[in-house]
Parts: sequence; structure tokens; C-alpha cells
Amino acid sequence: MGWLDMAITAGIWALEILAIAVPVALTVAYTTYIERRVIGIMQIRKGCNRVGPFGLLQPLADGLKLFLKETIIPTNANKLLFIAAPVMALVPALVAFAVVPFGETRLFGIWDEAHVMAVAHLNVGLLYVLAIGSLSIYGVLMAGWASNSKYALIGAVRATCQMISYEISMGFALVCVLMLAGSMDLAKIVDAQAGGFWHWYIIPLFPMFLVYFISGCAESNRTPFDLVEGEAEIVAGHIVEYSGMWFATFSLAEYGAMILISLLTCILFLGGWHAPIEALDFIPGTVWLLLKAAFFIFVFIWFRATFPRYRYDQMMRLGWKIFLPWTLGWVAVLGICTYAGELNHSLQFLSDMIGFYQPWRS
Amino acid sequence: MLEAGFFYLFAAMSVIGGMGVVLARNTMHSVMFLIFCFFNTAGLFFLLDAEFLGIILILIYVGAVMVLFMFVIMMLEVNKAKLKEGFLQYLPVGGVIALILLIELIAASSSGVFNTETIAAVGHFGKDVNNTVEIGKVLYTQYLLGFEIAAIILLVALVGAIVLTLRTRKDAKYQNISKQVNVRKEDRLRKVRM
Amino acid sequence: MGAEYLANEYIPIFIFILVALGMGAAPLLITVFVAEQKPDREKLSAYECGFEAFEDARMHFDVRFYLVAILFVIFDLETAFLFPWAVVLDQIGMFGFIEMMLFLIILLVGYIYAWNKGALQWE
Repeated sequence: MGWLDMAITAGIWALEILAIAVPVALTVAYTTYIERRVIGIMQIRKGCNRVGPFGLLQPLADGLKLFLKETIIPTNANKLLFIAAPVMALVPALVAFAVVPFGETRLFGIWDEAHVMAVAHLNVGLLYVLAIGSLSIYGVLMAGWASNSKYALIGAVRATCQMISYEISMGFALVCVLMLAGSMDLAKIVDAQAGGFWHWYIIPLFPMFLVYFISGCAESNRTPFDLVEGEAEIVAGHIVEYSGMWFATFSLAEYGAMILISLLTCILFLGGWHAPIEALDFIPGTVWLLLKAAFFIFVFIWFRATFPRYRYDQMMRLGWKIFLPWTLGWVAVLGICTYAGELNHSLQFLSDMIGFYQPWRS
Repeated sequence: MLEAGFFYLFAAMSVIGGMGVVLARNTMHSVMFLIFCFFNTAGLFFLLDAEFLGIILILIYVGAVMVLFMFVIMMLEVNKAKLKEGFLQYLPVGGVIALILLIELIAASSSGVFNTETIAAVGHFGKDVNNTVEIGKVLYTQYLLGFEIAAIILLVALVGAIVLTLRTRKDAKYQNISKQVNVRKEDRLRKVRM
Repeated sequence: MGAEYLANEYIPIFIFILVALGMGAAPLLITVFVAEQKPDREKLSAYECGFEAFEDARMHFDVRFYLVAILFVIFDLETAFLFPWAVVLDQIGMFGFIEMMLFLIILLVGYIYAWNKGALQWE
């Protein structure tokens, strides 16, 4: 391969990456708008409706305002880490999107076989998302420590403990998905759920679906798990010393994580880009995936409008004493169901039931 | 060629990261350098087709172990004057260890293990070889004993951590949820005849 | 795997990291130049609800926070062992399943110990 070919390939990749990163950034901006409108409707008030038609230009106005705000770097702060923290928070939230498959395409019949629409189609996609997701802790921890402020440090330590507690149950829930799909390739996990909603993993793994989504809420520090911010006690926690656009970068990361969790929930449990019934296949798969993800983003907002905040001990109890044993137990249950037929012939129906969800088993 | 370029990039960056860990004055910066070093090492794993190991390195070391490190360092009071105090006292022992390591490194690198001929024989796997599957196949069959020993080591670590750190506080009030839920009218309510 | 897979799938991720770094850093830089900067001593002092900041902010924390981090490392390692197992479960069959159950039971002992000792309890 010559230099020119390499440059062209790299250019195509860069375009692909921008085609994902820019819409993600826009979606984040408009999620804030939708959040305000939806919560407004739920609380029987209008929400933002002044800037532009239906207030649609509100995110732009917000962005402009944030850009024009002064940047404050406290004198006592550790300058280097204080500057690096917002970037460290945003990068994992964006980079995780690299492996998310948005559908399969033949590019209007130009390609013979369907290609997966993802920047990188990794064999270990699921693990990649989990690993990159776990890096979002550093933005929080660094921001809290570098600020050299009491509220920031307390907030950061609390946030870290919360995120790591829920990552474990998240990991176990994903193991259950893997046991059915038999592959860590996200596209293969989606393909294993093809053929109507009764093939979706939400049916055999309903408890895991709940655990995954709720853990996702806790990972992205959304209500009811937003005690990281706890404006009444620790005044916004780790971001207390940040201002203007620097502050907004943390919010961008939070909303990015929320969109990622929504997309992954659809991919892992709700058949990804497959239509609920095969008759509806004429609608492109990407539209289905985005519709399902939009529903989960709505659920996130709905949570925020509905639930009061958890108390810290309740939150830790849910993570360590309820989700952890529950997910571990489900791993065992799935395994026993798989081998029930071999143990005792009268239990064959259990293996058949699980076998139904295992198109990739030989 | 591209591969060699990436190898030198990752290798150089991990060496720089490693040096940064040792040379940085601020312990927090050291941790950051260590994280940077792990990332580049993960890159080296990817170059060796060991994608599972690379991702696990990020997931376990960067995502979990380093968080623990940061926790400890964040809460240690690092007094810089005190750190320098024992410098001369430790110099002889530290110097001898460093010297021995240096000799060992030179001996190892000149022994012929790292000859280019032996390394060049290692090529890439075929397209269908999946690192995760291959590891799974041997880890849970051939290396069964080691795997179960790992479980016991983890158990020991868990028990040890609890024994060493856990001190129940007498003054704290715990919430006993089952007790709260099971409370009945008779336990709390007393009828008084007026 | 193979060299082609490596180039096609991992280099885009590498580029993505660079793009994300740019996307993260650009707004931070732009705002510094666009916005008016008028720092003063009070503005740059640590926020403490309007009071003068007192004592060092880097304080000691309850040992429980470390304990949670240690427990997290242990359980995260456990998940790392479970991932390849779940992928090859078909190929290693019943034997692999029983073996993993043994692994989980050993760790379950530790989990029950932690529960009974109150390591998972917060007040």
C-alpha cells in the first residue's frame, strides 16, 4: 500500500469518525433541550420556548452563553490536572462510540455482503465498551482532587465509589448476555436476536435488563443516583470549581454516557437494529435502533422528573447487596438451564428454552 | 512498516510513561504517567494480536487497580520535606539493587533470547483466530488448577482486606431494614387507659 | 485477527482518540480566548459557601472508601475471568460450567464473609 492509498484510507476513517462524533455532540445538545421540555410538560409548565420556534435554538443560545463566560482556575488548584480533567471526562464518553454498530448496510446494493456500520468492528466490542466506560471515573476523580476544595474532593470520592460499585453488577449482567450470544462482537449479539421481538434477550434476561439499565443510570450519575451532584450538601461535588464551557464539558460527558447506555441497552437486550416484527423490516434498521434508543433517553428523563434522590447508604446497599447477588445468581441459573437436559431428561425443556435463544451454539 | 511505526510509538511512549512515574515530583502526576504507560502497553498487546489481554489490561489495571492507587495517594499526606529525609540512608541499598538489575538486564539482552531471528519468526495469526476464544479454551481446561488457585487467592485478598481495614464504629447508627419492615403495631403502640 | 484486522479496526480507534482529544480540548481553548478574563483574588479562591477557606482541603476519609475500592478490584477480576468463559461455554461444556461454579462458590464464601462482617454496610 502506497502513501497515497494510506492517506485516502485515513481520510475516509476520519470522515467516518466525524460522522459519528458530530451527531453525538448534536444529540447531546438537543437532549438537554428535550429534557427541559419533557420535564416541563411533566410538571405542567412550558419549559424553554422563547429562543426560536418552540425554543429550538435554546441549546445554541446556551452554548454561546457558556463560551462567553469567564474561565476560572483557582489559585490553589493543581493547574495541570485541573485543565486535563474536563478532557479526561469527555474523551472516554466519545471514544466508546467507536464500536457501537448503528446498523448493517449494503450501501444501496453496491456491496454484496452487508457491512456493519461502526467505526471499528471489534471482536471484543462489549469488553471495549465496558473498559472505556470505566475510564470515565478519572475525569471525576481528577477534577475533584485538582480543585483542592473540600466539596469537590468529597464529591469525587463519593462519585468514584458509586461508579465502581455499579460497574460490577453491570459486568455480571453483560456476562449473562454473553452466555446466550457466545460472542463479544456487538454485531453478532444483535444478529443473534434477529427474527422478531420474541428473540430479543429482554425476555430470558429481563432482570439483567433492569440491572443493566439501572446500573447505567448510576454509572452516568443520573437521577435517582445523582447524589454525586448533591446540590444541597456538596454543591455540585467535583465540578464546583469549574465555570463556563469547562463546566459544560462535564455535562456533555454525562449526556454522552446517557446516550451510550441507551444505545447499548437496545443493542444488548432489544434486538438492536431489528424490527419487532419481521413485517416491519422495510423501515431501515438504523431508524429502529435510534427510535429504541430515543425511548430509553426519554426513560432517563422520565426518571429525573419522577424519582427523588437516593440516600448514599441506600444506593450502596442496592449495588452491593441486591444487584451483585442477583446478577451472580442469574449467571448460575442460565448455566444450569443450559445443561439441565444433560443432567436429567425431564428437565430437557429448560435446555430447549435456552437453546431457542442460542442461534450461535453449534 | 506501519506496524513497526506503531510499535516504536507505543514502546517509546510506555518507556517515557515509566520514566515519568519515577521522576515526577507530584505523586498524582506519577499515577497519571502510570495510566499513560498502561495504555501504551495495551497498544503493544494489540500489536501482538492479543486484543483480549490488551482490553483486560485497560479494564483491570486502568479501570480498577489505578482507581485504588489514586484513592490511597489522594488521602495520604505526602510531605515533600519528609520524603527527602531518608534519601542518603536508602541510597546504598537502592543503588545496589539498581546495579544488580542493570547487570541482569544486560546479561538477558545479550543472551540471544532477543535476537531478531527468533522474534521475526512470530507472525500474525490467521483471520479466524479469536484471541478470547483461544484463551478461554486453554484457561478453563489445561490451566484448570491455576484458575481455581486464582479464586482462592482472590478469596484470601478479600478476607485480608476486610480483616485489615474494617473497624466497626460503635457510635454509628445502622439501619436494619428487615427489622423496620417487620415491625408490628404491638411493638410500638401501647394503649393507655385515661 | 491478523494484520489486516488490526489495521482496519484498531487504527480508526487510535484516530478516534485523537479526534476526541481535539473535540474535548478545542472548546476549552476557544472559551479562554473568546471570553473576557478578569480574575481577582476572591474569585480564584476555593468555594466554601462564602466563608474563608480554612484547613487543608485534602482531608482523610473513612477507611470504608478504600475497602469498597479493594472489593471492586477483586470482583472486577472475577468478571474478567467470566468473560472468556461465557464466550467459550459451548466448547468447554459441562466440565467448564462446573469448574466456573466452583470458582464462583469460592468467591461467594468471601462475599458472605464480607456481608456478615458488615463490610458492605453503610451508615
